[in-house]
Amino acid sequence: MGIPSVPLVTKAFKDLAILNAGKRGMPLERICFTPHPVWGKTPEELRVYVDGPDPITGKPLMKEVVDGLTVPLSADEKKTGIVSVSVGPPTFTDTAENLQEFYLNNGYTDFLPIVLPTQEKVDAMLKGSSHHPDEVIGKMAAGAYPPWTYTVRQVAASAVMAGCRPEYFPILLAIASTGIASLFSSTNSFAFSMIINGPIRDKLEFNYGIGALGPFAQANATIGRAWTIMSKNLGNGGIPGDTYLGSVGNNLNYNNVVIAENEEASPWDPFHVQRGFKKEENVVSLFRGLGVVPGQVARGSSVNTSPMFDAQLSDLFSTFTGFFGALVIADPLVAVRLKEQGYDTKEKLIDWLYKNTTQTVKDYKGRNYSYLFEYPQALQGVEPFATWYKLPDDAVIPHFPRASSFNVVVTGGQTNAYPQAANMSYGVSVSIDKWM
Amino acid sequence: MEKLGIPSVPMATKSFADLAKSNASKRGMPHIRACFTPHPVWGKTAEQLMAYVEGNDPVSGKPLMQEIIDGLTVPLIAEDTKTGMMDVNVGPPVYGPDTLDNLQIHFLNNGMTDFLPIIIPTPEKVDAMLKGSSHHPDEVVGKMAAGAFAAWTFTVRQVAVNAVMAGCEPEYFPILLAVASSGMAALGSSTSSFAYSMVINGPIRDKLNMNYTIGAMGPFAQPNATIGRAWTLIGKNLGNGGIPGDTYMGSQGNNTNYNNIVIAENEKDSLWTPYHVQKGFKPEDNVVSLFAGEDIRQGHGARGAGVLENPMFDDQISDMFRTLTSQFDALVICDPLTIKRLVEQGYDTKEKLTDWLWKNTMRTAKDYRDSAFVYTFHYPRALRGEEPYATWYKCPEGTLIPYWPKPDNIVLVCAGGQTNPFFQVGNLTYRVSVSIDKWM
Amino acid sequence: MNRRKLLSLLGMSPALLAGAQMEAQQPKAAKSGKVAAAENAQFEALNPKGSPPPVKLIPMAPRLDSVHGKTIYLVDTGFMSGGVLLQQMQIWFNKNYPDVTVVFRKKAGSYMEDDPPLWKEIKEKGNAAIMAIGH
Repeated sequence: MGIPSVPLVTKAFKDLAILNAGKRGMPLERICFTPHPVWGKTPEELRVYVDGPDPITGKPLMKEVVDGLTVPLSADEKKTGIVSVSVGPPTFTDTAENLQEFYLNNGYTDFLPIVLPTQEKVDAMLKGSSHHPDEVIGKMAAGAYPPWTYTVRQVAASAVMAGCRPEYFPILLAIASTGIASLFSSTNSFAFSMIINGPIRDKLEFNYGIGALGPFAQANATIGRAWTIMSKNLGNGGIPGDTYLGSVGNNLNYNNVVIAENEEASPWDPFHVQRGFKKEENVVSLFRGLGVVPGQVARGSSVNTSPMFDAQLSDLFSTFTGFFGALVIADPLVAVRLKEQGYDTKEKLIDWLYKNTTQTVKDYKGRNYSYLFEYPQALQGVEPFATWYKLPDDAVIPHFPRASSFNVVVTGGQTNAYPQAANMSYGVSVSIDKWM
Repeated sequence: MEKLGIPSVPMATKSFADLAKSNASKRGMPHIRACFTPHPVWGKTAEQLMAYVEGNDPVSGKPLMQEIIDGLTVPLIAEDTKTGMMDVNVGPPVYGPDTLDNLQIHFLNNGMTDFLPIIIPTPEKVDAMLKGSSHHPDEVVGKMAAGAFAAWTFTVRQVAVNAVMAGCEPEYFPILLAVASSGMAALGSSTSSFAYSMVINGPIRDKLNMNYTIGAMGPFAQPNATIGRAWTLIGKNLGNGGIPGDTYMGSQGNNTNYNNIVIAENEKDSLWTPYHVQKGFKPEDNVVSLFAGEDIRQGHGARGAGVLENPMFDDQISDMFRTLTSQFDALVICDPLTIKRLVEQGYDTKEKLTDWLWKNTMRTAKDYRDSAFVYTFHYPRALRGEEPYATWYKCPEGTLIPYWPKPDNIVLVCAGGQTNPFFQVGNLTYRVSVSIDKWM
Repeated sequence: MNRRKLLSLLGMSPALLAGAQMEAQQPKAAKSGKVAAAENAQFEALNPKGSPPPVKLIPMAPRLDSVHGKTIYLVDTGFMSGGVLLQQMQIWFNKNYPDVTVVFRKKAGSYMEDDPPLWKEIKEKGNAAIMAIGH
C-alpha cells in the first residue's frame, strides 16, 4: 500500500509470522514480538510487555517498532520478481519400503501407512472418472494463504495414498472441487464432516448401519482420510506451527466424520433432497465446526416408555457455541420415534429445536465466540446480534441465531435409539455425478 | 438356565438376530431356540407391545407365542444334546506367498484391518518389531474380549503383527505390549458407541518424538497416529472385537475409534504434576493410562468463556460438565496456557482444581436419574444399597448432588502448543495405568 | 530456527530470498512414486489373530411335554421397556393358558451382571423360563 508498517506478534507465533511473510512475498519483513499470551493479561501486565524487550531479539520492543518504521530499506528488502515454491520432482524411484518412509518423513501423509501412488495405481484411479487428468479442478488453502491449484491427476495421487478404490474417485474430486481443506490454520482445533447421499452409498458399500461413524467400511474410512491427505498435499495445510495452529488438535481430523445417510430407514427426506437435489442424484455435503457429542448423556434419556428426543437434543446443545450450527445425527430409531411424536419432516423438528433451545443474554454474552465474532457484527447493526446485545441480561433468546443453523441427518444400525449431535455448520453440497 | 436343566427360550428383538445366534454358538449352545420380536421395544406403549406378543416372530415368520411354547416343549434331537469341545478357526498362521497388493486386499477383505492401508506383516518386519522388546515372542501377554464373550489369549508375536500393520516403529512396541497386557479392547460390544483414550507419560514421549504441542490430538506425528490405530487393530484381531452385528453393536459408531484419542502429556510446559506421578509412578517412569467412555468435546461453547480480559477456566470447565453423564468420569485436557492462567487464579495443583470442580458442579437428583446410563447402571447398584447411588436415588428430586462420587473422578492432563488457551473435556473414565518400562 | 532455514523449508532457495511475489506452481501430490522392486515379488504375511479358547458344548435341557399346569418364569434382564413387553406376555398367558403359573422377575443388577439367587429360585420352583435379553 506504500504505508510502512510493523507487524506485532506474540512469541508463540514466531515461526508462523516469518513463514507467512515469506509466503506473502516479504521474506525480510520487519516483525516485532511480544511475550505470549496477551489474552487474560491485565493492562498493567501488558504495559510490562510494552516497556520490556522483544523476547526474540532481546532488543527493547518499542525501539524496535520505531526503527522498523524509520530505518531505510536495504537493497534486498526492495527486491521484486517471482519466486517459485519448490515441491520436489514429479516422481520418486526407490524400493516400496523406502518410498513408504519417504512419504512419511516428508509430511505427505497423516503418519499412517499409505498405498504408494505408483504410475499404475494413479492411472487406475484416473479411470474412476471421465475427467481429463490434466484438468485443473480447484484451489485450496488451509487459511489466509495463497491457495494452491491442482489437477485431476494430483487428486488421484492423494486418493491412492489414502487407500481409495477407483470407484470412489468422483467423491474425492467433488470434495477437492470445493476448495475446502479439512485442516484449518486457526488456533481453534476445528473438526470437519461430510454427508454422502444417493445411490452411490450402496454402490460403494458405505456403512450406514451398525457402527456408521466408526472404522467399519473401506469407503467410509478411506474417503474421510483422503480429505485430510488432500488438504496436506493439495492445500499445503496441516503443517504444525505453520499452516496448522490448533492448540490442542482434534482427534476427528483422522477420518473427518464421514456420514452416509441411512436414507432407507429414515422416515424423512434425505439431506440432499432438502438441498434441492433429486433423490437419485449422488451428493456430498461438507460441514465444519468443533466436534460430535453422543446423545445418551442427555437429560431425560431414561424416560423409559416415552423418550422425548426433541428435549434431549435441545439439552445436548446447551454447551454448543451458536457460532457454529447444530447437526443432529439421528439413529433411524430416533427419527421414527420423533415422527410418531408429530415431527413428520426434518423442518418441523428444526423449527421446534430453534424455538425451544434458548439461553439468557448474560450467558450468550459470556461465550467466547459471541464476543469475538458476533459482537463486532452487533455494532454494525447485523441482526439478530444487534438486538441481542441491546436486551437486558436476563432476557431469554434463541441459542442459535436462526433456524437454518440446524441440520438433521439419519444414520445408524437401529440397535439402540441414540442420537449424536455435532456443533457444526453446513458449508456446501456438491454433485458427485458431475465428477463421474 | 439350560445348564441348570431348566428349558428356556431367550427372546431378543429382530436387530439382535445375528448376535443372539453367534453368541449362543460362542457359549456352546449352537442350537438354542431363540425367538425374536420386532424392533424396537423401547418407546412402545403396552398396547403396541401386546401386538408384538400376538404377532409373528419377524425372523421366522411364525406366531411368536407358538414358537416360544414349541421351544419349551418340542423334544430335543441328538445335535441339541452334544457335549465336548468345539474349536474356533482363525485361519492359517501365515498367508501367502503372494504379492503385496494381493495381501493388502486379503487383510482388508477378511476384516483384519480398520479398512485403511496397512504395512504387510512379513516375517522380516515382525522380527524387526520383536527387537523392540526384550520379551520372548512366545510369551503370553494377556487375554482380551470386546464384551461378555470368551476372551482370546495372545502372545508378544501376535501383538507385533498388529503393531507392524498399524505402521508402528519397533521402538513403539513396548507401549503396544503395555496396552495389550491390560486386556482392554478399544472397541466395546455395547449398543452405545463408546470412545477410548490413552494418556502417555514419561521420557519415552520425547524418545519417540510424540507430539504433545500444536495439534496434539490430531494427525501430526507417527507415534500418536500409529499407536492409537494399533489399539483398534489389537481389539479386532487379538480380542475378536469390532465385528458389526456380532461383537460390535454400537448403533451409530464413534469417529474417535480410528485413533482412540492418543494424548501424550505436555509435562514440560505444564505447571502441574504429570498424570503418572499422580498415580504413584516416578517422573522418569514411562506409563500408559487407559480411559473409556463417550467422547471428547471442545470447551468453546462454555458459558463465561467470553470474558476475554479475565477468562475463568474453572467456571468454563464446570459448565462443560453439564452435558456429561455421571456414568462416565471427566477427562479434561488443558493447553499449557490454560493451566498457567488457572495457577495464577490459585489452582497450583491439579487436586485443588478437581476439588473445586467436584464441589461446584452440581445437578438436581431429577436430572441425574433422568439419564439413560444412570438408569441402566447406577439404579441396580442403588437398589443393592451401594453408596452414594442409594442416597442419590432416595433424596427428593430437587436435591443438588455432585456429578460424581469423588473429586478423583475428574482427571486433568496437559497437552497443546500454547497458541491459544483452550481446553477439551472427555466424558471418559480412568481404567488402568500400565508401566511401559516393564515391556521394554 | 533461523529465518533462512525456515524459508528454505518452504522450498525457497536462500539465493532467492528477496523475492517480492510468489506463486505456488506445483502442489506436492503431482508426484507419484515409482517402485523399483518388481511389483509381483512374493511375500508371506503373518496371521494377526489371537488364540480363541475352544468352546465347551452345553447340552440343552430336556423339554417339557406341554406347558399346561407348569410354572414359567419371565425374566427381565433390565433393558429399556423389556419389563413392559414381558408383562404383556403374562397377560397373554393368563388369557390363553389360564392353567400356567406365570412368574415375572427382574434380574438383579444391570444387564451385564449375573444373578445366582434368581437362577436358584427358578431351578427350585419353575419348570421353564423365557428371558428377554436384548432390546
